[in-house]
Formats: sequence, C-alpha cells, structure tokens
Amino acid sequence: MSPSSDLDVERSVRLPEAVALHARPAGALVRAAAAFAAEVFVGFGGRRANAKSILDVLALGAEGGSELVISASGKDAAAAVEHLALLVPELA
Amino acid sequence: MDAPNGHVSLVLVSHSAEIAAGLAEMVAQIAGPGVPIVTAGGAVDGSLGTDGGRVLEAMRAAAAGAGAVVLVDLGSSVLSVRAALAELSDDELTRIAVADAPLVEGAIAAAVAASTGASCVEAARAAEEARSVAKL
Repeated sequence: MSPSSDLDVERSVRLPEAVALHARPAGALVRAAAAFAAEVFVGFGGRRANAKSILDVLALGAEGGSELVISASGKDAAAAVEHLALLVPELA
Repeated sequence: MDAPNGHVSLVLVSHSAEIAAGLAEMVAQIAGPGVPIVTAGGAVDGSLGTDGGRVLEAMRAAAAGAGAVVLVDLGSSVLSVRAALAELSDDELTRIAVADAPLVEGAIAAAVAASTGASCVEAARAAEEARSVAKL
C-alpha cells in the first residue's frame, strides 16, 4: 500500500484531544470527503464508516484524541487521504 | 451534482415550533451556513399542530430557488405536506423532494448532502439512509 498508488491508500491520523468526532467536526470531515470522487472511509475502533455519510461517521462515536484510519480507493484516492489526513488534526 | 442557483434548501415541518427551530439550529451547525433552512412548526396560533398555509408557503418559496428537501415529523405534518404538493405546479414539483425519513437524522443527512452540492432528490435519498444506519 504505497501512498503513491491511487488504490487503497490508507493513513492513520489523530483527532485533537479536545475534539470528538461529533456534530460540527464530523460535518466538516464529511463535506471535505464529498469533494473527492474516490470512495473514502474513516476507521475507528475496528469499525469503518463511509466518510461521505454524516450519520455513518457520527455512529463511530470517536472521542477526542482517538486515532482514525483514513482510507480511500478510486481515481483521486491519494489526494483524498492526504487532504483528510491534514484536516483531521486541525478539526475544531 | 451541482444544483442550479446555489444549494438545495431544507423545509422542516413539525408539530412544534421549538422542535423545528432547534433542529434548524443544529443542522446549520453541522452542515454549515450554505444550506437555507425554512421551518414550518406549530399551528397558526403557536400551539402544537401544523399550519397548512405556512407549509405550502415554505414549500413554494423553496421550490422557487434551487429546490428543497422536505422533512416531516408525523401525522398531520405529513397530511399538510401532501396537501401542499397538490397545490404546486408540475414545474415546482420537479424541485421538491419529500424525504421518508426520521426528522432529526434525516435533516442532518440531507443538509450535509445539500452542502456538498447534491440535488433535492440526492439529498432526500441521503435522508432516507437514516432509516438503516444504526445508532449504537
């Protein structure tokens, strides 16, 4: 799984300590994911959510400081993962 | 996925003005400020109930823009929306989608979809996914 490949790109990122993946941060993440054509996922605690579905992402219940696994497959997967990996630590 | 004339809006129909207003506030926080939200909550005198005239007015205003997803709580809200649909022109009806979804979760899902440029039909479909997403 090389990050230079556009298939099945994956990266682990950490939420800020004070920011759980609730309402507003989850909305920001989903809107960012929706800008990409790739299928994008957020993994947490052994579960994987469709990063373009707000209800799916909220159901993960990821607390502040949690490690999330961002993954994607498809045309712009690498760009999607890179973008979200930069976004997650900056969520507020 | 680009809707003409900006984002699709939400019409929230509830028996309670407070439910509709509170949900509008919550939805705006999650989906951002780009999605217009119109509420039609409560009866004409402000008590619990529905105001068919206001529901029609809200749907007509929404149909004049980029289109709208309508979300309802239950009972006479559904009847008011059905009655309003019967009043709208065929042209207006092409820009209105009623979501068969739970009100809170559906509104959030529809608004986030609308904020990403979804059409009213796509946003309504996102709302309807709420029926199959587990909470726990």
